[in-house]
Amino acid sequence: MKKFLQIALGIVTSVGGFLEIGSVATAAQAGASFGYKLLWAIFIGTICLIFLVEMSGRFSAVSKHTIVDAMRERFGFPFFSIVLLGMVLVAFMVLVAELGGIGLSLQILTGIGFPWWAIPVSFVVWLLMWKGTFGLIENGVSLLGLVTICFVVAAVKLNPDWHGAARGLLPSLEGDQKAKYGFIAVSILGATISPYLMYFYSSGAIEDEWDVSYIPINRIIAVFGMSFGGVLSMGVLVTSALAIQPNGIDIDKFEQVALLMTTALPRWGFYLFAVSMLVACLGAALEISLAISYFFAQGFGWNWSESLTPSKDARFCFTYTVIILVAAIPLLLHADPIKVTMISMALTAATLPLAIVPFLFLMNDPIYLGEHRNGWISNSVVGIVILISFVLAVISIPLQIIGG
Amino acid sequence: MDLVRDVLDKRLMDREDCEMGRVDGLVMRIGENSQPRITHIEIGGRTLWMRLHPGIAKLAATLARRWGPKRTTTVRIPWSHVVATGKELKLDVEARETGAIDWEIWIARHIIERIPGGGHEEEE
Amino acid sequence: MRTKRLLVLSLILAAGCKPPTPAEQMDSVLSWIGTAGMAGDAWLRHTTPDTYTRQTFELSSKTLGQISKDLLESPPTMVDPAALDRVLSETSKRITRMAALIGAKNAPDFARQLDSLRNDQKTVKALADSIEAKQ
Repeated sequence: MKKFLQIALGIVTSVGGFLEIGSVATAAQAGASFGYKLLWAIFIGTICLIFLVEMSGRFSAVSKHTIVDAMRERFGFPFFSIVLLGMVLVAFMVLVAELGGIGLSLQILTGIGFPWWAIPVSFVVWLLMWKGTFGLIENGVSLLGLVTICFVVAAVKLNPDWHGAARGLLPSLEGDQKAKYGFIAVSILGATISPYLMYFYSSGAIEDEWDVSYIPINRIIAVFGMSFGGVLSMGVLVTSALAIQPNGIDIDKFEQVALLMTTALPRWGFYLFAVSMLVACLGAALEISLAISYFFAQGFGWNWSESLTPSKDARFCFTYTVIILVAAIPLLLHADPIKVTMISMALTAATLPLAIVPFLFLMNDPIYLGEHRNGWISNSVVGIVILISFVLAVISIPLQIIGG
Repeated sequence: MDLVRDVLDKRLMDREDCEMGRVDGLVMRIGENSQPRITHIEIGGRTLWMRLHPGIAKLAATLARRWGPKRTTTVRIPWSHVVATGKELKLDVEARETGAIDWEIWIARHIIERIPGGGHEEEE
Repeated sequence: MRTKRLLVLSLILAAGCKPPTPAEQMDSVLSWIGTAGMAGDAWLRHTTPDTYTRQTFELSSKTLGQISKDLLESPPTMVDPAALDRVLSETSKRITRMAALIGAKNAPDFARQLDSLRNDQKTVKALADSIEAKQ
């Protein structure tokens, strides 16, 4: 019974915590500009994520190390510091985008511009980290995140052409606007396959004291939680294709995304959007702050449990305090969160090999995993998707910049 | 024992199972007629940053002179204090006394405890 | 590996510097007229609040003004610059007027302006199509 409840909670929090500004902005752009034609990017991104999340949980349950811990040990400090630098820089940009997302949600609700919200929002995120326990963050905010199911409700209400949508699940090379198509595809992959999730899950498995007996639970949670989450992303894309594309709108600004559900859900569509984004971005901001701080703490050998009083893991708490404070600065300077989102999603895809290749080495290491190492399927799926992401990123990003 | 795989960069735990940091460096004695042996474990500071680049080590040293616990010598623990190896290295010393967690204590006292809700790092 | 990533990073940071083509600029214009139209519909149905809708109209108008200015600095040769200027500035002014009507909560006049906006949209679309065709 207890295990059943754990599975249910795991799936529900995975779904509630899936969407954030990256996945919403990229899916909305995809739907508005290309209709159903980019559903495949969400599809393969989600499949890759399922494998990565399952691997993260399995790794920590069996080896009793977090991924970062093992990475330092196995590869040494110099290599570790390169990965640290790459991951932290990109994750930091995503954090800025998420805090901006909370600010923009408050802006469309109150009319007060998002730069004014930068400091209050940072403070609230910090306070939740300071006072909260891992359970509160992992479960509480993610449960609230279930409000994002409204995106799927909106999509269904708009009567999608299911056959057309199914065709979108197969990759197709778009005729004109190839650079933009490739760029959005890359951004979707970067938004879906976020390395910070791996570090977050792995640390969670250690905090929750998982062992080998949790492997089946982990597998179920990964498959169902991430699949349902992927469906939410597809819901955003489909809604955008049906509601926004017919108006000829190309999504550039958050104000345009806010119109997403205004036709499907005339009474509550606008407010549901604002609340959904607020909660989703809040959850992501907390997870990313934790993930970055875990990277430093676990890599350098500091105390790091979220459930300790701050003075017992002082350097860890100091790290997230500084990160959250500094992340507010670009927003105070009026950096557009949507632009930051698109850039950071593309950068995430471009730097995926840096995070995933060492991780794949660890997943095949008998010293850490013994008989629970990766099989050829896990290695292949992840390897192929990362390769696709990287190649697409290297091609599309310069093309998008140099000329359509 | 494979030094790089089994010792270097491993986590260190003290007598009371407190985190002490990681094995950031090793001091070895190379004798004329005997096998090289580890004499000390080094933690933090210059040793760690030297593994990246001497320039970074210099910068770190300059910052450490101006700010924080202002420790001038690297933390060195004789190898004889290692009582167990495995997932991490266990030492029979107390973390506080070695200086390995000076930064942790400094940040706890000077920054974290000054913020409401920070608690006290010496409470048990 | 590290230098490659730095290169990618600096290319991305330079992303804002790419100059758009006239066809792309017209697409942006149509996108923001469409935004105003969709927001206007939503406001009339009481789906979106006054403040957000008004701010979105103001943003549309401002963005349209900016793109028009850029477009007319080096006007596309396929269309009559005077005609383009006229329809773009009329549309921009209309959107600004509509923003004020939201502030005044004047739904009937707003609805009329919204219909005119749809006509503006058709005119701009026709111009955009001819630019696209001759490019």
